[in-house]
Parts: sequence; structure tokens; C-alpha cells
Amino acid sequence: MSDTTIIVQQVINGLSLGAMYALLAIGFTLVYGIMELINFAHFNVFMIGSFLGMWALESLGLSGQSQMLTGFALYGTLAFAFVVAMLGSGLLGVAIERIALRPLRGVAGTTGMITTIGVSYILFNVVLLVAGADAKNYPNPMPVVQWKVGGATFDLRQLLIWVVSLVLMIALQLFVSHSRLGKAMRATAQDSEAARMMGVDVDRVIATAFFLGSALAGASALIFGLYYNYTSFLIGYSAGLRAFTAAVLGGIGSVTGAVVGGILVGLIETLGGQFIAVRWTDVIIFSILVFVLVFAPSGLLGRARPTKS
Amino acid sequence: MTIQAKLTGPWPEVASWLRARTTLRTQHASMACLLLVALLFPPLINNDGDVDAAANALSFAALALGLNIVVGFAGLLDLGYAAFFAIGAYAYGALASWQLHPAWSSFWVPFQWLDLVSEVDGAVHFQVSFWLMLPISAAIAAFFGILFGAPTLRLKGDYLAIVTLGFGEIVPIVARNSPTLTNGAQGLNGVLPPVLFGYQFGVDATPYYYVGLALVVFLMFTSQRLKMSRIGRAWMAIREDEIGAAAMGVDRVRYKLMAFAIGAAFAGATGTLYVAKLQTATPEMFMFPVSVMLLVMIVFGGMGNVWGVVVGALILQILQSWLLQDLSGWLQALGELINVEWLQHVDLSQSIELIFGIILVLMMLYRRQGLIPASRRVAGLSLDEQAAQVSRGGFDALAGLGSIEERRTGPLLEIEGLTVRFGGLVALRSVSLSVPAHGIVAVIGPNGSGKSTLFNAVTGLLRADSGSVRFAGQQIAGMPAHRILKLGIARTFQNLRLFPNLTVLENVLVGMHSRLRTGLVGAVVRPPGTNREEHDAQERALEILSVFGNRLVPRINHVVSSLSYANRRRAEIARAIATRPKLLLLDEPTAGMNPAETLELADQIKSLNRLGLTIVLIEHKLDVVVNLADNVVVLDHGEVIASGPPDVVRRDEEVIRAYLGRSANVA
Amino acid sequence: MTTRRALIAYLPAMTFAGGLAARSKPAFAADKTVTVGIDVPLTGADAEGAILIKNGAMMAVDEANAQGGVAGYKIKVIVLDDGTTSAGQYDPAQSATNARKLVADSSVVANVGPEMSGSGKAMAAILSQGDLATITPSSTNPDITDPKFASQFVPKGRPIYFRTVTTDAYQGPNMANYFAHTLNVKKVYILDDSGAYGVGMANAFEAQAKKNGMTVLGHDELDPKEADYATILTKIKGLNPDALYYGGVSLAGVKLAKQSYNILPNIIKGGGDGVYGAPMLKGSGFPAMEGWYATIAAPYIADNPDVQPWIKRYTEKYNQGPGAYSFTAYDAMLVILDAIKRVAESGKPVTRSAVRDAIQTSNLKTLQGVISFDKYGDINSRIVSVFRAHYNSQYPVEDSLHQYKYLGVAPQTS
Repeated sequence: MSDTTIIVQQVINGLSLGAMYALLAIGFTLVYGIMELINFAHFNVFMIGSFLGMWALESLGLSGQSQMLTGFALYGTLAFAFVVAMLGSGLLGVAIERIALRPLRGVAGTTGMITTIGVSYILFNVVLLVAGADAKNYPNPMPVVQWKVGGATFDLRQLLIWVVSLVLMIALQLFVSHSRLGKAMRATAQDSEAARMMGVDVDRVIATAFFLGSALAGASALIFGLYYNYTSFLIGYSAGLRAFTAAVLGGIGSVTGAVVGGILVGLIETLGGQFIAVRWTDVIIFSILVFVLVFAPSGLLGRARPTKS
Repeated sequence: MTIQAKLTGPWPEVASWLRARTTLRTQHASMACLLLVALLFPPLINNDGDVDAAANALSFAALALGLNIVVGFAGLLDLGYAAFFAIGAYAYGALASWQLHPAWSSFWVPFQWLDLVSEVDGAVHFQVSFWLMLPISAAIAAFFGILFGAPTLRLKGDYLAIVTLGFGEIVPIVARNSPTLTNGAQGLNGVLPPVLFGYQFGVDATPYYYVGLALVVFLMFTSQRLKMSRIGRAWMAIREDEIGAAAMGVDRVRYKLMAFAIGAAFAGATGTLYVAKLQTATPEMFMFPVSVMLLVMIVFGGMGNVWGVVVGALILQILQSWLLQDLSGWLQALGELINVEWLQHVDLSQSIELIFGIILVLMMLYRRQGLIPASRRVAGLSLDEQAAQVSRGGFDALAGLGSIEERRTGPLLEIEGLTVRFGGLVALRSVSLSVPAHGIVAVIGPNGSGKSTLFNAVTGLLRADSGSVRFAGQQIAGMPAHRILKLGIARTFQNLRLFPNLTVLENVLVGMHSRLRTGLVGAVVRPPGTNREEHDAQERALEILSVFGNRLVPRINHVVSSLSYANRRRAEIARAIATRPKLLLLDEPTAGMNPAETLELADQIKSLNRLGLTIVLIEHKLDVVVNLADNVVVLDHGEVIASGPPDVVRRDEEVIRAYLGRSANVA
Repeated sequence: MTTRRALIAYLPAMTFAGGLAARSKPAFAADKTVTVGIDVPLTGADAEGAILIKNGAMMAVDEANAQGGVAGYKIKVIVLDDGTTSAGQYDPAQSATNARKLVADSSVVANVGPEMSGSGKAMAAILSQGDLATITPSSTNPDITDPKFASQFVPKGRPIYFRTVTTDAYQGPNMANYFAHTLNVKKVYILDDSGAYGVGMANAFEAQAKKNGMTVLGHDELDPKEADYATILTKIKGLNPDALYYGGVSLAGVKLAKQSYNILPNIIKGGGDGVYGAPMLKGSGFPAMEGWYATIAAPYIADNPDVQPWIKRYTEKYNQGPGAYSFTAYDAMLVILDAIKRVAESGKPVTRSAVRDAIQTSNLKTLQGVISFDKYGDINSRIVSVFRAHYNSQYPVEDSLHQYKYLGVAPQTS
């Protein structure tokens, strides 16, 4: 393969990775935008989402040993898995908010963040105890279809990532900009006190943000499982941290920023791995994170001000 | 006359505060008992495994103490603290092991004389003494603390957490990818155990336990002394309200970096002890979970409380390395005894993380202040005290405050052409005004006319776009807030910027920050000079508070968040006076006070002025303005529209139209 | 980090426990007990391998106790966890604590563990001080038994760190020989999983590959907690290698196998004992595993009829197939039980010092063949067997015995 082909291939890989990070980053950004809370539980909501999707697929008789489906059976199976993963994750997110975070409403400082670390521990270990520590061979009902782009290949699973991410992001944008609840969300993000005085049910808005963010994490997780054919109780940390970086890079609080940030992190990861070495990937990503925060603290598209006045 | 003599009687709280000093002796006794137990622990328990677990727990306690400086005192959330632990560990690991072995040359001979290296098979063997490396590692870690801290200074809490998390990720990866220095994932080999006067520490856990204990005691002592000093108060002021701290003369950059450096130094020294005890180190020992666990420890124990974080660290560490495993064994034995099948197979060790997660969430929901809270609530005042007649202290006490009665003529503050823009909005447009020495000037104007912006620009909290501000003839525009304060301009805030979880006394002491000199070493060592300075400062704080009579003095040990609104205003004024200002800027000092209280405060402001203090106040209550001010400046839409004596300004057409017109019969 | 070493071999020794029982007298079995430790990181990210080790070792003990114990002794086990929440995985500091606990408990005569070489480095000196033998089923870093470091790791001089696996010093180089001479590989790319085991193996492979005149196109490290390896695999694809060698365990191996199946379908791929075994097969499945070369650091006796029943017993007992760890841990425990038996039968008191001496002189047939140790504690058998994964749909996918085809012995470096 020529050098250009490899670079094109890395860009395709990076965009696929970036789309997954973007979906996951939206969850961080929605919650942060409204509550100014870094939600560490989101890491493992994502992880549980991948297990929910796996169990949904297994309940239809699919296993890790590939059984290709086509046509209606494929669409139906995938749709079912998406519904289970997204709904399950979304409800988990809402439950976390209701049980562990709502009682802390109005408590200042880092209490909320520390609580989410505790929740994250709990989720992680419950899955470890229930599902075991071994790597799971994720069911993969999708046929192998590849297209050539130059010399690079582009396959069905990558297409799925792009299409699903795009559809969900557009749907989210429409919801946020057009629906009543979406407008309430934006209002709360601007100024939650003012929104409350204008009659916005802030609790409901926060629950919605958790639901949407977690549901997108669930979708991202299912895509993750299908793409890598793999899941494990460990996947939350690495993916979560990168998605989080993406949210910061794009400007935390901004949905568009999360998407742009996700894609950038994906590209940085693949091109950095290509031109430097994968052993340094994390150092590159975190250096960029530090650099952005220090020199352009509101990220690329953010409106939040991470510095004190 | 000493303050004791003056204050005995009417204010029992003060007496009890003074008594508290003598109860320190009983505290010392109980501490000595604890220490004795800790010293006797190894021979009593007589199990090397348990002593070792205790030694590890002590290491974590030392780390928790360091993190507590950064997070608990200064309020800077650090999620990558383990990085400094790693730096300290690898500093000793590299300089006291077989890891680095450059070829021998004459360059090394002087080091050989110092016994830092030796020659083995033509190569250099580093063998820097453990005792020498303890402070060196601390210094190296402190250097990195400043390096990592510097870029984060401007960032808000959670963003700061992210940047530190980033550094926390980077350091172990760099360690893993630098095998020449660290042997990478393979782990260091042959780290030398310490030697003390010829005694080889070897592999027995007990000597490490004692070094760990000494380290923890030393760090607790250091932490406690720092906390009770000018430095600790500056940290806590930053934690409570950064802007308030800057306005009270705390150099934020300096004190934040100091917190990072000292916190990192604690970790550096601990890392050295840890790696000496283990005699190996791998990068996995310093990853994110370690940082999170340390955070959990201090949250669990009580953030900001030195005893609390030590207890938190010891409990959580011993729970996992010790209790849960034994507990599993006991449950299994119980299962065998009573013949219950599932009990025989219980294995709690796999659920430790789950249990920790549950503990953490429950603590956050039901006991956020931790096991041992940092700020003890003081019992409420007795009915008698509450019902006591309002009294006022004399102002004579303040007469000794120094510079304020130094008489001068001419303007003290001259502002010319001051312009401040927020984006497109012009908040102040070419404002000029002059404040005569020893006068009282009132700034009035409708909401949003730029009054508070004027104060912010004068005190350095805001940078003006153009214009000049001269104070006692010196140009101060563009100076940082803490330097302006030191020159003699103090202020209060419209929305109050007290330090809510500090006591009234501590708030006032923070006000004295720039007039005190105690540095890091002085705060820890407490030489007689420092003790005297601290003692004098406390006395002066009491004198200042006594200006407000029994309003504040009985409450000096109450956290200010428990005070009434009016008392908070008074406390803020007291804090501003404590900075020994020449010029006092009061932003709506009587807001939220009833007419009687307003009158009382106006009187007090007048008294301060009589002592020589120049005062500028923003005020809405025009009767107060008329009563107090020699001169009134009227701002509207960021411009001075009138100025002059109160009765002149009151008749000014433009003022009536722009300001008074909105409520025709004001004043 | 660790090694997994696969089962192998003949199993006449399989019936070891049963044979013991026949000779001992169950009547007084309950009267006397000795304790054996098991030290593995059950908490955190390494729990998977740790459980396989614990189960393998426990199985040997349970079988012996079910037959009435060993030479009149009932075997008690204390399981110590050297993973901590603080580290989120294995924690050398906790390993050191556990080593001291074991030493302090006078009823403990030997130990199985640790899983990780990082733990081993923290434990060895303490165990040496206490003269307590441990047998690791999985830690392969050569430093611990290297005479060069003896003053640090075995200050008392008598070996206490025994292994039922060979060190990194053999598997990697021998496979490099196999790549060069048998598979005619000219250009190779090397990956490892950034763990001590993987890095050691990959470095040893790299050194020998260069000696054999192979072009090493690059050597990079995978983050085992990261999911996406497409980046590095795409990069490798651009370099057109003949082969990919992977030093590491299944945690990263599973993802590597799957993603390299898509991106590098046509090159030679191989690894050490980390890619041999049920976790790798079950996690990756076929066709991803198809064609992967794997080695184990033990001789292979074809068509061994005894291993199958053992796997069946293990699977029935734990509801889960054994991993490579389980075999070596079972073997390690067999060696200890045999040592206890020989001490007891010689009429001497069963002390840890006597047990250590007996372990040193072991010559025991186990799952993986005859185990004996050299004077540093390393296993004498240094045969490296080569396998290739090939799907046989008649057997379960995680059935190592039938899903890997034995190819021969990798050439020793002379």
C-alpha cells in the first residue's frame, strides 16, 4: 500500500473512532452544560450499554461465532439491539441521577463529581461480578461488505457507525432546538436560576439530559461492540477518557463542539499512531487536552468559561 | 492594656476561646497516648504481614496529607496526584539501584568520595543514601508540582481536575516508555534498602513502619502548623473565595503554586519511602486509580482536616489489605461451623471495590463533611447573649492601627479618563474623579451605572482599558489586586465576599495577610518572632472586632456562614479594616440592614473617618449619603454626570432626571 | 506480566492425588493440617487470570483432600489477594504485605503465586528471609531468578522462587528461530501489550530475530485497556511485513486477533503462550484465530489421553474452561503436595524449610510433563512447542486441545 492510501485509511479509521467518541462525548457535554458536573459514571454507563446490547443480541440466539444475517432479519435485529442498549442505558442514567445526584442538588463544589466516581466504581464491579472478567466475543450479525476508496477499504460496520451517529446527532440537534423540553434544556444551560424562575422544571430537564446522554452512550456502546466484536468490563475507562477529552476539546457544554472534538480526537489518535507510535498516543491526546485548556480554555466551540472571571 | 484584661466578663465566648489555649495541654496528652500506641504496635501485634500492611497504610496516609494540602486547604482539585508519588519513587529508584550504569570515568570520582556512587565492574553504581534522597525527592516532586501547577492557575475547579488528570496519565506512560530510566514495565531491580547508622533495613517491615510513622507525624505536624498560619489562612481563603482572597491581598499565583509544590513534596518523599520498602517499582503502581483512591480517602476522612484525612487513609487502606480478607476467612469458618453452604464460599475480597463505591456514594449523600469534619460548628449563643443589649466598642482601640492617622493634604485617589469595556459594552466611559485625603465620597447612580465596576477597576480585580488611577501619587492602574491592597486600598463587596467556612476571627486574620510576614519556614518552625506576630495579629483582630461591640465579639469562633446578614456586612468591614487601609471602598455597606442598624453603621463609618480613614462608599440609601458624604459623585451609564456636595447634587437637574426622577420623592 | 502456559503433556501424574490417597491413611487425615498459600490479584483488572490460577491450584488441593489428604496431612489453603482498589489491579505493595503475612503464619509451608513478575520482585526477598518457597505459575521475568540479582531477590542464598513456566529467555528467541528458519520470515513487525511479560517476550524475540537476519520493521506497544488497534495495524499494513509477532496476554491479544483478521488477513501472525488457551479462543473466536501461531514453554505429547478428563473435571467443577494459567497452577500445587508428601514420608517434621528442599529436588510428572528445577529455581524443561490455531467445528471453540494443531518443537538457540 502506498503512503497516501495508508493515510486515507487512517483517516477513515479515525473518523469511525471519532464518531463513537462523539456520541459518548455528547453525554458529558449535555450534563456539564446544564449542571457543571463532570460525570464519571458516564464511563461505565457506556460499558454497561455494550453489555445490554450484547445480551439483547444473544437473546435472539446470536453468539460470538459469526452468524451473518441479511435483509429484514438484520435490520430488525439491529433495531432491537439499539432499542435495548439505548433505552437501558438511558434509564440507568436517569436512575443514577435520581438516586445519587438529585439529593446533592445545590451542594457546591466537587461533591457531585466525587459521587459519580463512586457510582462508576459500583457499576464497574457489579458487571465484573455478574458477567465475569473475561473478554466477550461480541455477536456480529453483519455481513462482511467492503468498498475500496482509492486503495483504502471502507466496510459496512464503519458505514453503520457513521450513519447511526449522524442520525442520532441530527435527531438530538432537532430535539434541543425545536422541542419544548429541548428549549428548556438550553435555557437551563444558559442560566438555571433564571430558567427555574421562568417556570422550567429543572429536575425534569436534568433527568432528560441524563437520559439523552446515557442513551447516546448506549448507542455508542453497541456500535463499539459490533465494530470491535468485543466487550469487557474494562472498556469504559479508556473510551470514556477520550470522549471526555473530545468534549473538552470541542468546548464542553456545546453539542456541536462534542461532535467536532470527538472526530478530532479520533483523527489525532490514528494519525498520531501512524506518524509517531501508538505507545505515545495517550501522551499526545492528554498533552493536547492540557494545551487546549491552558491556551484556549473554552475549547473550539464552547461558550462555557472554564476560567474564573 | 491587654485584650484579656479588656474583654473578660461581658463576652464569655472570648474567655472560652482563651481557655481553649490551655486545653491544648490535654490534647497534647491524648496525642502522646496515640503515638505511644503507634510506637508499640509492631511488638504488640508481632506479625510482620500486619506491620507491613500498617506501613503501607501509613504511606497512603502521608500521600493523603499531601493531597489534603492541595485539595483540602487550597481547594485545588487534583486528580493526578499519583504522578508526584511516581516522580518521588522513580527519583530514588533511579539513583539507588542498578538501573542506570554509565561507564566509569574520572567524572564520577568526586561523587564516589561523597559516597553517592561506587564503581562496579567498570560501571557506575548509584547508591545515593535514602535519607539524602527523602528531601531531594521532595524537592524534585515540588519542582514538578510547580511545573504542572503553573498552567492550571487560571482554571476553575473541575477544569483544573481535568488538567491534573491529564498529567496523572502522562507521567506513568512516560515512565513505561522510558525503560532506560525506569526499566519500564519490567519493574526496577535492586533498589537499595535504607541504612541508618550501619543498621540495614533489609526486608523486615518494622523499620519501614517506623520511618512511615515518623513521616506521617512530621507531615501532620507540618500540615497542622501550616493550616494555623498566615499561609494556611491564605490557602483557605483561596479555596473559599478566590476573588475575595485576591482583594484581601493574597497573591493567588504564589499561594496556589506553593500548595502544589508542598503537596507534591509530600508525595515525593512518600514515593521514596515506598519504593525503598518495596525495592521495586512498576509504572502500574501510579495510575489513575491511585489518585482516585487518595481522593476517596480524604473525602471519607474529612477534607481539610488533618486528623480526618489520616484516619480516612488508614481505615480504607487497612480495610482492604487486612480486614476484608480476614473477614472472608471468618465468614467461611462461620459457614463451616453452622454448616451454611454459601457462607463457606464467601469471598469479600473480590467485592472490595464495590464496597468502596457504595461507601463513597453513601458518604456523599449522608455525610459529606467526612468522618472528622474540618470546621467544627460552635454551639449557638445562649439566650442571654442573644438578648444582650446592643453595645458598641470604642474606636480608641483602632487608634494604634498605624498609617491611617498619618495626615496628608490633597487628593488621596485621583482617577482620570478611566474606561472599562466588556466586549462591546462600555461599563465606564472616561471617568474622572478625585477623593481628598480623609474625606468621605459617595458614589451613587442607578443600577448598572458602573459603580461596582469602578471599585473593581480601582482595586485591580478588573483591568481598565485606558485611563489612570493614582493613589497617593502612585500610578496603580494595571497592578494586581494584592499589590494594590498592600499600598492601602481595601474594599467590601456588594454581594459579600467573605470566606464562608472560616470563622469570623479567621476572616479578619486573612485581612491582615499583607501586613504579616510569616513565610513557609516560619509557619512550620514557629520561631519566637512568628509566635509574637501571630499573637499580636490575633489581639489586633479582636480589637477591630470590638469596634462592633457585642455584635461580633461573642461570635469570633463562628463560621461566617452562620452569621446574620448584617453581621456578615460588619465582619466584612472588620476584615477590610484589618488590612490597615488608607482608603476604604465600601460597596453598599448598609444593604439588608434595618433603619436602626443602618444608623449604627453610618455612625461607625463616621468614626472610622474621624480616625483618619479616607472612605468611598457606594450607597443607595440617600439619607446615609447626605449624612456621611462630603462629596457625591453620580454615575449614569458609565459616565460621571454630576459631582459636588450632597445638597448641590440633589438639586442638579440632570441627576434628578437620570436618577432621582425614577422615584420622585427619594430623600 | 504473566505467562500462560498451556497444558500439555502426558498425564500419568493426573492420578497423582488418587495414588496418594491410596497410600495414606484417611483415618488420621483430619488430625494434622498444613497450610499452603495462594497469592493472586483477585481485585481489579487482573482478576480474570487470577481466578484461573486460583481454581487450578484449588483443584489440586480439593482432589488431594477428597482422597484423605497428603501423607496424613489435611491441606488447608489461605488465599491472599494482592490486587487492591488503590492500584485498580495487582499491587506490588500488597504482594509484599501478603508475603510477610505468609512468612508470619507458621503453619504455611509453601505458596502458589504470584501471577505477576512485578509482584514477584516485591515478594522474593521477603520469602527468602523466611525461607518460604513459592511456585509461580505465570511470572516469567528472568531477573528474579537471575544470579546477577541474587543478592537482592534471594538474600539468604537458597532459591525460593520456583516456576512451572520458563522465563521469557526461551519462548521469544526460540519462536524467532522458528519464524526465521521454518517459516522463512524476512520482515517482521513486533507488538507487545506493555506488560512485563509481554515486553520481556517481545524484546527477547526482537533480539533473536535480528541475530537471525530478519528485518524488524518496528516494535510498538499496545495499551491493553484500549479497544482500538486498527491504527497500528493499518500502519503495519503499510510496511508490508511477512509476519507479526505479539508478546502479551489475551487481554490485548483477543482484540489484536480480531482486528488483524480484518486488516492483515494474509500475513503470518504468532505469539507466545499468551495466545494459547481458552481465553484467547473464546474471546476471539474463529475465523479471527485461524492461522495464529502460538508457543508453549513445555513439551507436547501428542494425543495425550489424560488431559481431556482433567479439563472435563475442571469445567464441571468451575463451570468454565481452564486457562493456560490453570494448568501451571495445578502443576505448581502438585509439586508442593508432592514435596509435603516426601517430607512427611521421610519422617521429618513438615517445615517450610524441609518443603523448600523437597521442592528443589522435585522430579514429578504433571500435566505439562516432568517438572524439575535448576539451582536457581527455574524449570529445567526448556522445550518450546509450536502450535497453529485451526478451527475444528466438532469441538467447542474454547477447547485448546482441539483448536490448536501441534507443529513441532521450536529450534533452540545454541
